[in-house]
Amino acid sequence: MSLLNNLEHPTDARIWRGDLPVYHRYTAGVAGEKFLRALKDQGAVYGTRCPTCGYVYVPARLYCERDATHLDDSTWAPVGPAGALVSFSAVWVDLDGKRLDAPQWVGLVRLKGASSVLMHYLQTPTGALHAGMTVQAVLKPANERVGSITDIAYFKPL
Amino acid sequence: MEHLVYPSKGLSEQAFEKREVLFETWHVKAEYAWDTGVAIGKYLAELKEGRIVGRRCFKCKRVMVPPRMFCEHCFRPTDEWAYVQDIGTVKTFSLCYVRWDMVRLTEPEIPAVIDLDGASRGMGIMHKLGAVDSRAVKIGMRVQAVWKPPAERTGSITDIAYFKPL
Repeated sequence: MSLLNNLEHPTDARIWRGDLPVYHRYTAGVAGEKFLRALKDQGAVYGTRCPTCGYVYVPARLYCERDATHLDDSTWAPVGPAGALVSFSAVWVDLDGKRLDAPQWVGLVRLKGASSVLMHYLQTPTGALHAGMTVQAVLKPANERVGSITDIAYFKPL
Repeated sequence: MEHLVYPSKGLSEQAFEKREVLFETWHVKAEYAWDTGVAIGKYLAELKEGRIVGRRCFKCKRVMVPPRMFCEHCFRPTDEWAYVQDIGTVKTFSLCYVRWDMVRLTEPEIPAVIDLDGASRGMGIMHKLGAVDSRAVKIGMRVQAVWKPPAERTGSITDIAYFKPL
């Protein structure tokens, strides 16, 4: 039986099942590794400042994507932990598309000293957010940090 | 150009196992289901019943196994179902001392092409020989299908466990 026979139930079709074993490892990279280690071990957020154009990348990058300048160790500097909320949104569905009871707030934060924005969770008990307000990174306790951007638990209004 | 080469390093399996580098893992869910079509669907359904079915073309008179709905010689649809026997002749074979997953074997597996009685020339199907001394296998040897018990059949070519000498 195949789909071309007039089947009463689609499950009557004879099908051959398979599964492609595809498995990824995605490394943080040279700059990403250093950035995440600093977040985990020092609780500090680092950026790299391009000596050619002055743009400050957060998270830190290995090279400037605007002029291809190599951003060596001398360009690394801590930013934040406070910054300006550039934009924000309420998310009502989870990663599987399931509806949430309460919204998850996410926002773009330009940390103090940074040129680029960082996307992260916002914690807001009152829901009173506005673009331009000052927010601050809240880090997880040192023993819970694993070297991930979620070592910053969330940003909260100051 | 050297100023354009940024510092990097190669990573070993050990670097991942010992967690010397930070990394994310992701297992892609890449499942698929392939519709067997009219001809192979019937072929597999018949195997489950312990029969081997082919397809006949009235123009060239061939009986094709596995069946297809289209005759590639006459360039026209095939005409009727035709059962063939589960007895046949070894056309060619191989003694395989390495398993599909590269494991060495002391006793070889014996894949063979078997021309089934009732099917046309050149319609040999690929299967395994069993219950035979590997040194005794010869081209032209007569063999018969050993079927799995009906309860274990799933509608697959492996519903025939192997072919044994007649």
